[in-house]
Amino acid sequence: MQVQTITRRVDPHLAIDLYDPEAELLLLHFGPQHPSTHGVFRMDLYLDGEIVVKVVPYVGYLHRAVEKLCEKLTYAQITPVVDKNDYVAPMTNEQAINMAFEALLGIEVPRRARWIRTIFAEMQRIASHLLWLGTFALDMGGALGGGSTVFLHCFRERELILDLFEDVTGARFHYNTHTVGGNRHDIPAGWSAKVKAALDVIASRLPEYASMTLENRIFIERTRGVGILDGELALELGVTGPILRASGVDHDLRRDAPFHAYDEVKVNVVTRSAGDCLARAQVRLGEIEESIRLVRAMIDGIPEGIINAGRPIKQPAQFKIPAGQVYVGIETPRGELGTYVIADGTANAHRLKIRPPSLHALSALPHILPGATVSDAVVILGSLDPIMGEADR
Amino acid sequence: MAVTRRTVDDGSAFEHPLYKTLLNTPGLSVSVAPLDDLLTWGLTNSLWVFPMATSCCGIELMAAAAGRVDLDRMGTIVRGTPRQADVMVVAGTITVKMAPRVKLLWDQMPEPKWCIAMGSCAISGDFYRELYSVVPGVDTFLPVDVYVPGCPPNPEALMHGLLRLQEKVQLQRQGQKVVRDPNPALLAITKPSVPRLCDADRTAEMDAAQEESAATSTASEPRAPLHFDTPAAQAVDPDLQRLFAENGVKDFPREGPALVPAAQHLALARKLKAQGFRQLVSIVASHWPAGRGRKGADAEEPEHFEVAYLVRSVGSGTRVATWAVRLAPGESIASLVPVYAGADWQEREQYDLVGVPFADHPDLRRLMMAENYSGHPLRRDFAADTAAAPWR
Amino acid sequence: MNVHVRSLVLAVVVVSTVLALTTFAIWFERKFAGRMQSRLGPTRVGPVGLLQPVADAFKLMQKESIRPANADWALFNLAPLLAAVCALGAAAVVPLAPGLAAADVDLGVLFVLAIGAVTVLPVFIAGWSSNNKFALLGGMRAIAQSISYEVPLLLAALVPIILSGSMNLSEIVRQQAEGHWIAVWPFFLGIPAFAIFLLAMLAESNRIPFDIPEAESELVAGVTTEYTGMKFALFYLAEYAHTLIASALGAALFLGGWDGPFGPGLHWLLLKTFVLFGSVYWVRWTLLRFRSDQLLRICWTWLVPAGVVLVMGAGAWVAWGPLP
Repeated sequence: MQVQTITRRVDPHLAIDLYDPEAELLLLHFGPQHPSTHGVFRMDLYLDGEIVVKVVPYVGYLHRAVEKLCEKLTYAQITPVVDKNDYVAPMTNEQAINMAFEALLGIEVPRRARWIRTIFAEMQRIASHLLWLGTFALDMGGALGGGSTVFLHCFRERELILDLFEDVTGARFHYNTHTVGGNRHDIPAGWSAKVKAALDVIASRLPEYASMTLENRIFIERTRGVGILDGELALELGVTGPILRASGVDHDLRRDAPFHAYDEVKVNVVTRSAGDCLARAQVRLGEIEESIRLVRAMIDGIPEGIINAGRPIKQPAQFKIPAGQVYVGIETPRGELGTYVIADGTANAHRLKIRPPSLHALSALPHILPGATVSDAVVILGSLDPIMGEADR
Repeated sequence: MAVTRRTVDDGSAFEHPLYKTLLNTPGLSVSVAPLDDLLTWGLTNSLWVFPMATSCCGIELMAAAAGRVDLDRMGTIVRGTPRQADVMVVAGTITVKMAPRVKLLWDQMPEPKWCIAMGSCAISGDFYRELYSVVPGVDTFLPVDVYVPGCPPNPEALMHGLLRLQEKVQLQRQGQKVVRDPNPALLAITKPSVPRLCDADRTAEMDAAQEESAATSTASEPRAPLHFDTPAAQAVDPDLQRLFAENGVKDFPREGPALVPAAQHLALARKLKAQGFRQLVSIVASHWPAGRGRKGADAEEPEHFEVAYLVRSVGSGTRVATWAVRLAPGESIASLVPVYAGADWQEREQYDLVGVPFADHPDLRRLMMAENYSGHPLRRDFAADTAAAPWR
Repeated sequence: MNVHVRSLVLAVVVVSTVLALTTFAIWFERKFAGRMQSRLGPTRVGPVGLLQPVADAFKLMQKESIRPANADWALFNLAPLLAAVCALGAAAVVPLAPGLAAADVDLGVLFVLAIGAVTVLPVFIAGWSSNNKFALLGGMRAIAQSISYEVPLLLAALVPIILSGSMNLSEIVRQQAEGHWIAVWPFFLGIPAFAIFLLAMLAESNRIPFDIPEAESELVAGVTTEYTGMKFALFYLAEYAHTLIASALGAALFLGGWDGPFGPGLHWLLLKTFVLFGSVYWVRWTLLRFRSDQLLRICWTWLVPAGVVLVMGAGAWVAWGPLP
């Protein structure tokens, strides 16, 4: 089958009567509690047989009022709260929020802390993409089938990375390990050897996953040409990360606007041009390999020095940030996680907005779902890798 | 943990109709005891879970089903439909919008059924408990049998919770009620018994070096400038300055984005998009009550809103262009949807939470809150610790 | 012995054997899946978790029976019963050992295939009567799938019928005695027919990669979404019994049934059945699921033409081939 990138714009707001004058459509409420909605996401599917004619997505079932809470808490108290946003890669939340505060305070993070942050971010990317691969296979193979085998194998490898983080921070996730100006926990002795051993295990098992997914005929048939998102539309929607790169846009903040220590290493950006679910899977699996390469390259070269600038680990609970506004965006496993802070000179933020990559990814659904079947709808939703904690905040 | 077993006959113990029928049939009541044991054995050893997984704890629930812990060992499998489950594991934060659905799903489960509240959010609402959209604990509307604390609890903790539930089921079937005495040995453990690895490897010298460096300077080795997109950086960036100047913006304040008259902002967005800023990053609306301004307290400022727009150029050397529009209360602003399709949900969110109306938006509904909700929680005059109505 | 008494005794023996084997098969599958997924599977109930399905059965027996509002109660209650009866009924003609079959009828193969064709009925009844959209979609898919895969199943089963010249299952097995299995000779007809039979069997018993009527990641639990307690247990049982009996049928049609080295016997049939059953689950826990249109395309563009060619080949082999 020849893969083509087509530009098809559907109007997501067209009234349902205009699609089907006789209104003989089946309205299927999909979610908010459904095995394949990746949390509490709901979409109303208007079905003609099994074909989706129109989709109306609903978010907000996990709206935990994080932004309001951030206005109430002091800056130092915010880190453990935002941990819970993107609960598959919690460290990236901490990094995004603390980098915003650091930018407003003008703090330069020590080089060792930046390297450690980079390594943490890349390991989070591996863990997050592994979990994505597992749940994506689950969407396609079901909890009582081959999907769950891929899923449980991915979890087995993910546990290796969680163990490493547990060594450093004492927690499996929700680490609270980044502070303003650096890190709270230094890496323990002998940790790098453990990291390399774990990465060897994961790298040796990647071909196994590929054989069950990317090289599997059924997987290819189910994903190729399904849910094509055109690059220009993706940009307009603010879709970022692997989804954007799978649509042929060569854009990665790690390389294009380096943060942490990404300016000291070479990041190879994985891109595909097809824009379908297969391309997204290929990009994510490619990124696992790239992350393994990056961590391997960096783990032995962590510079000596302090891990926290400005203040010692025993940090005062309160500090003030001078009036000003800042936007900081970093590349997380799901795309650009941004933080917009409006500080007014007190110990609390006047307004703090978190820019969630998942919400932007979900906003592509009304554009790419129509025309697919119910089975494809599950696959397309899964390929967007939404984390509702982050989308709804 | 010590369990005191007391026989409490308050009618709360579960009795199956089959059991009652047998008990009341002459000649058969003798055979009830072994049969009852058999039925209890079946109930205890086959607790199928309905995962009411909303957030982080859901990931640990999945990890509990995975190889390292494997709930299937004790016969616990996960069913996607409430009709075939015995235990609802509420894993994660339950919001006001979600709570009616959770109740509905609970009601759809067949008796006998049990509920496990997994994680601090499900138990008490955690630190979200006083906020406008979060339910402070599912036991406000569900009969919770076992609480598994943690944020999130380890998979092993969930396993332990299920074992406790098995114990409870057995006692319930015997007509007993579980009253738990606190275990002093467990209460005494407040610290981990082994020093944490990060503590073990830290030396006094390292602390001293850190204190010293904190006292002296923050500068370390020179490096490439960070690409933080502060308005201050925008103000000194010649490219961006030229772009904005071409599009009619003359003033570049350092404390916030350049302010654009509401009438020109759509045209500015079109021009920026044509000049390479093709990606919509975010839309941030903020509310400023009277007396508050960009530089802090400012007695002359009336109440107003500011909507900041962030767009990004793509690829190598990417940068963010930011502009803001200042609005008086009640004033609306032209929607950006004709230029950037992604403004759709962003504007709905800001309309929902901050209450800024966007003119000509194709579908201006609430995004996060339920559609019958009134009020705009991210306004500064909305008290942060106001729980939602039934839980206040 | 009176022929009626004999039939009754045999029927009881066969049904209880099938039920016991099904219970064992459920345990077998859970352990098997566990090992494939690097975990243990049930370990705590009974020795090596053997009594896990029994505990599940006792649990399901005690669960409340819920009928959704506006569901058609007669059909809703009939469907699980029908499913179990169909699945167990097919067991009647499977020859377990020489002279041991609940009903040794001359049209055995036809009977099994006819019963197999009826199994789609309870599935669709369940989907329609549940008053649930997920179940309804599942029922629709089941109809499309079963009607399509009925054809290659029949064509594949025709090959041993033509080669042995009988529709009596015991007779077909008898002709394969002493290693003259149809899958062995003529292998160029037997093996492809066996492969088609296996594929169609996977589809008929709704196993992955053809489990679209259940498709729990799309349709929650498919047609059984609204069923609770014992009614669900009957579906669950029927599903496993169906797979098991289809495996036994495959063993009888292509692998010589009770025949084996060191004399014929029931153990050979059981061994072959569980090898086939295990391979079904091997496939199930390895592969992902097809989409319904892909499923139908595979059936009508590959399996049906191949089946037709095989049937013609079998006819030619009987007419002009060397002596069997």
